[in-house]
Amino acid sequence: MSTYSELIKNFEKIRAYMREFYVYGFKSRDEYSAKSARSYDDERRRMESWLGDHMSFVRTPEGKNMFISIDSRSIRHNPFYHAWKAKSFTDGDITLHFILFDILHDPAVKRSISEILQEIDEKYLVGFEAPMLFDESTVRKKLKEYCEAGIVVAERSGRKLYYRRADSIDISELNDVLHYYAETAPCGVIGSFILDKTDADSDAFTFKHHYITGAMDSGVLAALFDAMREKRTVTVTNHSRRKDEAVENRIVPLRVFISVQSGRQHLIAYLPEYDHFQSYRLDYLSDVKQGDPTPRFDELREALDRMQGKMWGVSIRRNRWGKEQLEHVEFTVRVEDFEEHIVRRLEREKRIGTVERLDAHTYRFSAEVYDTSELIPWIRTFICRIVQMNFSNRAVENQFKADIEAMYRIYGIKEGEEI
Amino acid sequence: MIFSELYSAYYNAVAAILSRMLKGECTERELQSIVAERAFGESVLSILPSLKSGKWQLACPDMTTALEHTPTMPMTTLQKRWLKAISLDPRVKLFGVEFPSLDDVEPLFTEADYCVYDKYSDGDPFEDEGYIQRFRVILTAIRQKTPIKFEMINRKGRVVYGRCLPKRLEYSEKDDKFRLVTAGNGYIGTVNLSRMIHCAHYTGDKPLDSGEREMTYDTATVKLSDDRNALERFMLHFAHFEKQAERVDGKHYLIRIRYARDDEPEMVIRLLSFGPMIEVVGADSLKTRIIEKLKDQKKCGLK
Repeated sequence: MSTYSELIKNFEKIRAYMREFYVYGFKSRDEYSAKSARSYDDERRRMESWLGDHMSFVRTPEGKNMFISIDSRSIRHNPFYHAWKAKSFTDGDITLHFILFDILHDPAVKRSISEILQEIDEKYLVGFEAPMLFDESTVRKKLKEYCEAGIVVAERSGRKLYYRRADSIDISELNDVLHYYAETAPCGVIGSFILDKTDADSDAFTFKHHYITGAMDSGVLAALFDAMREKRTVTVTNHSRRKDEAVENRIVPLRVFISVQSGRQHLIAYLPEYDHFQSYRLDYLSDVKQGDPTPRFDELREALDRMQGKMWGVSIRRNRWGKEQLEHVEFTVRVEDFEEHIVRRLEREKRIGTVERLDAHTYRFSAEVYDTSELIPWIRTFICRIVQMNFSNRAVENQFKADIEAMYRIYGIKEGEEI
Repeated sequence: MIFSELYSAYYNAVAAILSRMLKGECTERELQSIVAERAFGESVLSILPSLKSGKWQLACPDMTTALEHTPTMPMTTLQKRWLKAISLDPRVKLFGVEFPSLDDVEPLFTEADYCVYDKYSDGDPFEDEGYIQRFRVILTAIRQKTPIKFEMINRKGRVVYGRCLPKRLEYSEKDDKFRLVTAGNGYIGTVNLSRMIHCAHYTGDKPLDSGEREMTYDTATVKLSDDRNALERFMLHFAHFEKQAERVDGKHYLIRIRYARDDEPEMVIRLLSFGPMIEVVGADSLKTRIIEKLKDQKKCGLK
């Protein structure tokens, strides 16, 4: 029977739990039916251990509901990064790690495998009653792993292979840079790893409108960046909410689309088997396997560059023959005196399209887009001043108007009512 | 690989413990506080016992070690690649720092590999020399806890003068702007950096209050009907707030979100963007604003 540990071997399981607890947080223990009760208890305990005060609970008739609640404006470091720092290891791994770097304490120190083995036995483990046994293959394997990670360098001299630690990099000036980018750059958790090795802290920055959930997708994101840098195809597993079963796709990853308004991250990729472009939610992807380089990468990315002029969000619509299907979107707003900020809002918030001044009090936004429905939440933010709209997609326009009527009903606003 | 024990909190805690041991005799309490600071809530139950028992053969039961050097680890290729990627970001000029040589390192990503597609287009002028100079004066003042004086253009277009104790810089990814959170600046708690036109260290003798203005919070209470995937969209959209959700019945939810009162106008439009999938039932002022907007919309005669 395995015993509980704060550390985990597999990130995928906790990734799903953390999202459930943070994003939703209303499920009781019994509702996590897909997993065993034991598994639920262990994962909950781990999250409590990693996230401390950010975990809360509420008692409901169904039981105790645990949730993660964080005002990201009040924190300086993303607490979800803790999960990435909880990888399990063996007793041998940690012992060997510190001994190896004590032997290779300076880049000028070079040792062969036999010298390292001798030092381990005679200097480091000799004082223990039952010293661990590290055979040559174990140490060689660990050194190979460290060479691949870039922290140890193997150099041949004659017929012998010598190992030394990699050169250090001076980052003493980068404290503020690291604190800022660890929260704002993609894969910021890597910046947090760097900061962990320094003693300097910073209280110079905080963050507003700061979505911290993306941290859980950093592994997938880094693997996709790797593929893009090397212009490779990848195979990914997609756990779309629209399908019961996860689907494996071979794709050419082209660009990651990050939203700072919805908390979502998407990948736009090309599917060679279907000859079309598709967007994937990053939080639905897992198990990225690198494939072969593709000669079409540049051509496909250029095609995406052209398409971006017609994308409001991440939707790309083409018919089965690859022909673009564009929709016209147009709406007009009334702007009163001293409401120049509304015009500024239209200008700064529009991602594509144009804003036209019709007269002193009316402005019109128009654009040709792949998917009108992606603009709807934004257009709703102008409720109180929309005087006219014209969508080529009539179904979406009618839905928009029906929704406004529904809102009138919800809030009890009747015809001809005075303010 | 990002998920590696090389970056683990346990390795960091053990490195700090061994460093402390190498400095000389240390107490159990000291080591426990190192674990509490570097690792997780329950780590103290496993890290120190593992070291003491010889499970991890790095320290003797008397808490001495055979190691001779303070444990350090060079940067991994992954860390260097990330560092190279951020060294290419235009905003890095703000900090005026020299990056270490990373000539032979491939960036993990470049601007061509990702796109923040919905940030506002009137972000701060991060490459403007004057802006950079003011940013650095403020950052130094925050570090040194010293006051600054500044001139800024206010909302009415007038130039105003101010003095304050800068506390921190708040960056909004959506607005792509820095705001300076201040103390001792009267009733003004934040100043948009892009509105500043001059900024220098203040050497005058006017005493400045060092207390930050207290933020006042309200709670938005929202009934949500989970149509058109509204629940997931809503919860993710408001994920960065302190919030609590409860299921009322099959597809109806009640969600409470704690927000800063200063941000109420922004909250109104963010809630409006969810249309009839939600009903705002509190706070009263929030609900009133939404009703007013809907009444105004009704008068627009949209057919």
